[in-house]
Amino acid sequence: MRILLAEDDELLGSGLKAGLAQHGFAVDWVRDGVAAERELLSGSYQAAVLDLGLPRQDGMDTLAAVRARRLTTPVLVLTARDAVDARIAGLDCGADDYLVKPVDLGELAARLRALVRRSHGVPQSRLTVGELALDAAAHQVWLAGEPVELSGREFDLLHVLMLSADRVLTRDQLEQHLYNWGSGVSSNAVEVHIHNLRRKLGSTAIETVRGVGYVMRRPAAS
Amino acid sequence: MAAQPSWSLARRLLMMTLAFVVIVWAVTTAVVWELTQHELNELLDAHLAQTAALLATGELEEDDRGVPLKAPTLIRRYQSRVAFQIWHKGRLVARSADAPDVPLAERGVEGLSDRAIDGTEWRVFTTARHENGRVEDVIHVAEHTSARRHVLLATLRGLLLPLLLALPLLAFGIWWSVRRAVAPLRALSRTVAARRPQALDTLPEDNVPPEVQPLVRALNGLFGRVAEQLASERRFTADAAHELRTPIAAIRMQAQVAQGAATDGERHAALTATIAGCDRATHLVAQLLQLARLEAEADSGGARGDGPRPAGCELAQVVDETVRELAPTAAARGQRIVWHAPGAPVPAATGAPLAAVLLRNLLDNALRYSPDGASVQVRLAPAATDSGALLVVEDSGPGLDEAHLERLGERFFRVLGTGQSGSGLGWSIVRRIARLHGLQVAVDRSPALGGLRVLVRWPAAPTT
Repeated sequence: MRILLAEDDELLGSGLKAGLAQHGFAVDWVRDGVAAERELLSGSYQAAVLDLGLPRQDGMDTLAAVRARRLTTPVLVLTARDAVDARIAGLDCGADDYLVKPVDLGELAARLRALVRRSHGVPQSRLTVGELALDAAAHQVWLAGEPVELSGREFDLLHVLMLSADRVLTRDQLEQHLYNWGSGVSSNAVEVHIHNLRRKLGSTAIETVRGVGYVMRRPAAS
Repeated sequence: MAAQPSWSLARRLLMMTLAFVVIVWAVTTAVVWELTQHELNELLDAHLAQTAALLATGELEEDDRGVPLKAPTLIRRYQSRVAFQIWHKGRLVARSADAPDVPLAERGVEGLSDRAIDGTEWRVFTTARHENGRVEDVIHVAEHTSARRHVLLATLRGLLLPLLLALPLLAFGIWWSVRRAVAPLRALSRTVAARRPQALDTLPEDNVPPEVQPLVRALNGLFGRVAEQLASERRFTADAAHELRTPIAAIRMQAQVAQGAATDGERHAALTATIAGCDRATHLVAQLLQLARLEAEADSGGARGDGPRPAGCELAQVVDETVRELAPTAAARGQRIVWHAPGAPVPAATGAPLAAVLLRNLLDNALRYSPDGASVQVRLAPAATDSGALLVVEDSGPGLDEAHLERLGERFFRVLGTGQSGSGLGWSIVRRIARLHGLQVAVDRSPALGGLRVLVRWPAAPTT
């Protein structure tokens, strides 16, 4: 799952990037408010972690700017500004969550998963499509109750498809969701992972929409 | 007076007023005593003389048997205190009932005299009739001296008795008035005593007697200053808490990354970053403490104004030591501190530890914001006749634009996006030291190196 991190402190930023990667997030890290606004508006992120005291443009202004452009990507504000007024202002400005530094890595990851889930209208942490079940927190997938071993990329790909069940996702969209900057993406990486998923979950699990992309369909109610 | 326990205003006023009243009364009594005695003596002496004259004109028949005539007693009470004798040729021919047998005055004395006979003091008027140079008749008219004293004492009693009655009444009246008069003071002290330490709003200045107004104004001034200091301290703690959050968050995050690291390389990198985070937090805390200490010093500076001033220092030596101390830090990034030492010692009024703190912060900033491999210049100019020593630190960093120059020295202000993890406190410390010691700090662009140039000028030494 691809996350944008906007943090100007080198030590904290590198820690967040590495820590979130351990929890299965692909993290792109920007160090100022202007870059954060530009990257958020590209729409490639499932969620964003935004510091407020950023150079060039304050995080609050970045947040206001992207919300004004009707961007719905969940934004978690992570800041040292702990005053109640600041929290209220942050949430009212369009933040979906507001955490004060320092923060526990596990909690941050859980909150990000919750934000992503809610943004897709999914109430529980366990996703189900047909006989498939996926628990993002436990990083586990079950097919008809039996655990299935998936690689990290395969898990992420399945996660995105299940979150957007019944919606067709293009190959570009899938790539954007999966890979952060600097990870070498071969031209047919998505196809390879889809192929592997079909092998493990059954050939009908993921449907190809010719010329458009891929979709997971919920079985029609019988 | 100073060593005495402080008396209440009421007690003081009461005591002083009563003492004053008693003194005035005593003086009055003494004056009245003197005047009355004088007048009384004149009047009664005149009476004696008058009576003597009256007796002298009368023809007194001598008893044939040679027994002196006795005058009848008309008013028993006072007549016993007055007496007369008439002597004829050395023989007592007439006297009053209570008169003694011996002459009331010494022989040869005429006019007024005093004499004690058988323990009784007499005031006597004597008149004599001479014939052919010989004394024929002598008339004594006398009066008990004590009678006069009785009159005087009665007068004084009349004067002093009302005072004895009036004094307690007066004391109560004064006490009551003073209590009433200092009621606003007591109300004020109750108000102040009942205040919570946080309540620092001003006291109302109207409805207060003019004498108490300066006190209320002074208190309000104090409240204002305390509130200001409290606000500044709150701001400081809030700022400090805010600034400590990011380094601590970084340490925690890196530690958690190390905990969850899959490879040794990742764990090693995270632990290295954790230690770097700890170093940074330590530096920040050290600077915070330094600043807090400086502010405490500035706050108590007025109170300790007469204390011994810390000895000055030799600036060149301080610069020398500080440059040597920071050289390894500079070398770690390939930087160099170029120190143009002056030939002669440069004395300054600042203590060596503070001067070192000042210089270390300036050099630390210069090194921090200069690129790798850059050099930082330090120059020291000795004091001239009309100006003190001058310290110049120049770097080849990015410098600062106008807006940032203005904000330099604000607590925790730092230029964002420089990639440097400064605390934003160095300049606060520099400014604080400068203010404590009257140094002038100027910042501009270095003509030689293109970065920031900081000029610190010591005040001209007093010509003593």
